Amino acid sequence: MQRDRKPKFAIISILLTFGAFILFVLATIVDPLSTYSNILMVAGLALLAASWGVYFIGGRSLQRAEVATENVITVIGCKGCDIREERPFSEGDYVFKEVGPCKKCAGTSYIRAIYAIPIKKD
Amino acid sequence: MPRGSGKPQKLAAISYIPWLGDFKLEINISTISILLNIVVVNMVNPVGQGLFPTGNDLSSIILNILWVVFFFSMILLFNQRLQIWTYQRNVEKATIKLQMLADKSREEALKSVQKYAQENIDIRSQVTSFLDFFTIEPVDRDPFGVLNRLEHLLDNRRDRFKAFVAQIAPKAGKAEAANTEDILEAAMALNFIFKVVRHYLILGKKTKSLMIFVQLDMQLPLIMKMAEAYFNAQKTFSAGKPIGDGLGPLVASKLMFGQPKRVIAEDIVCSEVDISNRKAYVLKAEGPGGLLGKPGEAVKRLVEDMGGKVARIFMVDASSKLEGENTGEVVEGVGAAIGDPGPEKYKIEEVATKYKIPLDAIVCKMDLEEALTTMKKEIVEASEIIIEKIKKAIVERTKEGDVVIIAGIGNTIGIGQ
Repeated sequence: MQRDRKPKFAIISILLTFGAFILFVLATIVDPLSTYSNILMVAGLALLAASWGVYFIGGRSLQRAEVATENVITVIGCKGCDIREERPFSEGDYVFKEVGPCKKCAGTSYIRAIYAIPIKKD
Repeated sequence: MPRGSGKPQKLAAISYIPWLGDFKLEINISTISILLNIVVVNMVNPVGQGLFPTGNDLSSIILNILWVVFFFSMILLFNQRLQIWTYQRNVEKATIKLQMLADKSREEALKSVQKYAQENIDIRSQVTSFLDFFTIEPVDRDPFGVLNRLEHLLDNRRDRFKAFVAQIAPKAGKAEAANTEDILEAAMALNFIFKVVRHYLILGKKTKSLMIFVQLDMQLPLIMKMAEAYFNAQKTFSAGKPIGDGLGPLVASKLMFGQPKRVIAEDIVCSEVDISNRKAYVLKAEGPGGLLGKPGEAVKRLVEDMGGKVARIFMVDASSKLEGENTGEVVEGVGAAIGDPGPEKYKIEEVATKYKIPLDAIVCKMDLEEALTTMKKEIVEASEIIIEKIKKAIVERTKEGDVVIIAGIGNTIGIGQ
């Protein structure tokens, strides 16, 4: 399931952890000035908390139920001519259903095809 | 970029990052343990000698020992607990999502059935209890006649489904009743998936078994994909839209368009079509309801009625694609292209073998979700390619005056004839 996480959150989490580690190491190096050491320590802890926050909260978007979004098209044709019309699918449509007289000739219109075109998500 | 090949190439490198996913938490926890040590060292010894005190005084020695003990205790003693916690957390999240999908699909099924139910009758309890309906597979330790027994059980199951739908949705016509059966099937599948995953989650918690969680976690991406496919399929069934699996019936419908039809087996219609001076018997499930029919029985009856004088049998069906293959790719082969549990396939193979009739298979590639959800444009376009291939194959592989059978296999929801 962890493989579902967005890569950018993994990178941010790791970078924040690495930053925290550097700050902690710096805190140990500058010990003669304990004030700076403590500030660095607090900053490091904040980065660490942010790293965990990004890891646990930021990557959750892919865990939510994804609702399929698609645009379903009904293609109308005629038995007597080569007219072709497209309209959105409406309930009750099915392929080869007769849908009344043709607009162009005296033939009978029917549904030639029904298909889905996926809508791209951002 | 080839059709249907997922994410753009430029993201290929970055997509390897999730490979770190299985180790990320361990990395974080290891880092935390190291950093906590640093915190402890600095709190105890704020003006001391840093991360690893090198002095010979007692406090430095004690701090170094504490550091080592703490680090190794995290690695050796709590390692498995931490792993169990990680995997358990993933499985729990997936189970919650599966429960949500199962609940939503039950509500969707109720909503669909309610349209055709009698007023003032509560169908909730009936539908909810029917979602646990099961079928016990026949014993196969003695395989003799196992397919006959399986067919008998499948017939029983279908009859029970039809009777249940007729009982709760008496206002539904034939097509609506067939669609309602499909809607219930999808809800049952989701209910079953949720219950199985929940079972292993609880079992893993009870036994504290890392292996149960690891196995479950590794399979979760595929399980979730399947569950989402069924969930989306249910919406398609509710609207009565044609699905990807309807490719076979679509091809057959196009071939038999405008010709008289007759019912030749349970829920199967057939037309006689002339293709390049050959007589073709084209058959499919009777649409536009969500039916599969008994195409095996239909092919068997046709061949037997003609005394086996059939030059070739062409079968058209949807086929599961391998990752990397394109949706809508048309591939030819030999054999009975039908994905039933066994009985229908067996009948076709048996009658073809008995009369030495060549079996040609033409399939269109798609994945599970595409097979169960609204038919994609690529699949509609593939139907035209398949018709051309069939016509070409008939001319090349049969003689004028021959008889051929063309069977469009699949769920015919949203496809009339």
